This record gives sequence, structure tokens and C-alpha cells, in this order.
Amino acid sequence: MICPSCCQKNLPGDDVCRHCKQPLTSFDRPQPENQVERSLMYDQVKTLKQKPPVTMSHSATIGDAMALMVAANVGALLIVDEVGRLVGIFSERDLLKKIVGDVADYVNLPITQFMTPRPESVATTDTLNFVLQKMDAGGYRHVPVLENGKPVGIISARDMLRFLTRLCKEAGERGASAL
Amino acid sequence: MECRENSMDLTRNLKNETVSRLYPTQPWLLQATQPVADAVKLMREKRVGCVLVCEQRLIVGIFTERDLLRRVLSKGKSLDTPMQECMTPDPVTVHPKDSISSAIKHMQKGGYRHLPVVIDEKPVGILSVKRIVHYLVEHFPTMVYNLPPHPQPTQPKREGA
Repeated sequence: MICPSCCQKNLPGDDVCRHCKQPLTSFDRPQPENQVERSLMYDQVKTLKQKPPVTMSHSATIGDAMALMVAANVGALLIVDEVGRLVGIFSERDLLKKIVGDVADYVNLPITQFMTPRPESVATTDTLNFVLQKMDAGGYRHVPVLENGKPVGIISARDMLRFLTRLCKEAGERGASAL
Repeated sequence: MECRENSMDLTRNLKNETVSRLYPTQPWLLQATQPVADAVKLMREKRVGCVLVCEQRLIVGIFTERDLLRRVLSKGKSLDTPMQECMTPDPVTVHPKDSISSAIKHMQKGGYRHLPVVIDEKPVGILSVKRIVHYLVEHFPTMVYNLPPHPQPTQPKREGA
């Protein structure tokens, strides 16, 4: 890493220049190259329009959860404790993988037994590339959005797809009109 | 100038590149007369969210996790119900030569997570929304893959004494 102010050669990853002590960390960060990348890097999760999360108390049963998923037309429920903090997520996938065919009379069993505990989540102030990273690298279909440990939203893979395609389209149109 | 070219790139790729470029995953097939229990077993074994329902070799329906919850469990049907009674019949499909943008449009219009890829009614693959998100992410790798695991890089407290 060559220091931009004094041209001193530094080791890659150095925090400050060895010669002039100027901080170098900001130069390690990737630079956005276009509209889409800029939005991903600087826009916060709260700019994304999210559906309010569908939550359920951790004392509920599997039957309650199934009824709520059907009624609310969602694929995943956020499970919260007495004070509203996120403790788990219960999705259609959990139902398929852990319950159906394995467990008899599951309707009255507690949800805590089958939910996925402590799911990966993002804060409202995190940037959008973190959501994408969690979704793509972790393979999650739903990423809960938290504020002080309490769920305020949920982002699904389809929400992200909608956001990205709109962004690409806008960038494309802007490019075309500028020509 | 640079900025315009890159974003134009992605828009152009979405229009020009085809579904086959995404290497849709292998479809898992069931006959319409098989019971739901078989579908559940197959989906768990293969770790997938949907299976395709066929008559002979031709696609007649799709069965997903959502169908399992909505059309079987919450209706109180047993797992012996044949597939043809609880699948989504005549799903929206794409051809391997269709453009990626048209696949995305189909997905968003119907709110689907999976699209069967078929040639002359014969299933050859499944295209999932996750795969498309992955494809889009590949267009801006440094923005996504070069990230630390957590958004806050600094520790909240000093380590040690």
C-alpha cells in the first residue's frame, strides 16, 4: 500500500503510514464503481421498504405457528421472548426438515423445540451489502432486521431481488438517457 | 463514464444472458399418483424446497414447502394424499434459452421462489430466487464478498486488562 501523501511503501493492511502516520484504513475499503454498488455500500437497511415482521411468542405451539403462517401468508415467523427480543426463527423449511413425517402429534408441541435459535440478523443502520452477504454466503432466505434486539422488519430473498432489479433498471435507464 | 458502462453491463447481461447460464439445479421428479409422504422424504433427502410432479415424463405440477403447509397440513389432509390433489398444477415455467430478466419477471409477478426449467414440457432444471440473487451479487463481488463478518469492525471494549 503506497501512502498517497508521502509515497512511502507500506505493508498491505497497515493501519497508518510508517513514514507520515497518516491513517490508511479508509483506502482499503472497496470503492463503489457505479450507481448500484454505491447504493449497496452506503444505503442503510432502513431505506429498504420492509414488511412488518410477523412475530410470535416463544410460548406458542407449532399449531399456533402454522395457523399464523397461513393467515399472514408468510414463510417465516420471528419468535420473540416476553420483552419482545428475537430468540429464533421458524420457517416452512423447519417444518419440513424437523417435523413432518418425524414427529407425531406435533400440533401441541412448543415452538422453541423446533425453531432455529439465534438467527443471523442485521441492524437498521447496517448497509445493504451486509444483507446480501448474509443471504448469499449463509444461504438464508429471510434475514430479520433488529433495533435494540427487537425485530422491526424482515428481508426476504425476493425483497432483495426486487430491490436489485429496480436499482439495475434505474441505473440502466439513467445510463441510456445520458447517452 | 465508467459508472454508466458498468451498470449498463448488468442491465444488458440480464437481457442477453439465458437461464442456462445460471446452471439451474437438477430437478427431482415424482409421479402424480405418489403420496405426499414420498415428496417430503425426497425434499428432506435432497435438501431442496420443491419437487416437480410429472405424468410419464411431462410436467403437470410443482410441490413446494409452501404447498405442504397450506394444502396438506393446515387442511388436515394425511400424508397419504396423492400428489395430484395437493400440488400447484400447471406452474409457470421457463425455457433454458429464455433471458434471465424474463425469468425474474415471472418470479416477481407470481411471487414464486422456484421456477421449473422445461424443454417441450420435459423438466430439465429448477431455478431458485437464491440462485438469481447469487448471480446478481457476482456482478459486484467487492461490495459483498470483501466484507468483514460483522458490520461494526471495532471492538466495543478494549481487550485485556
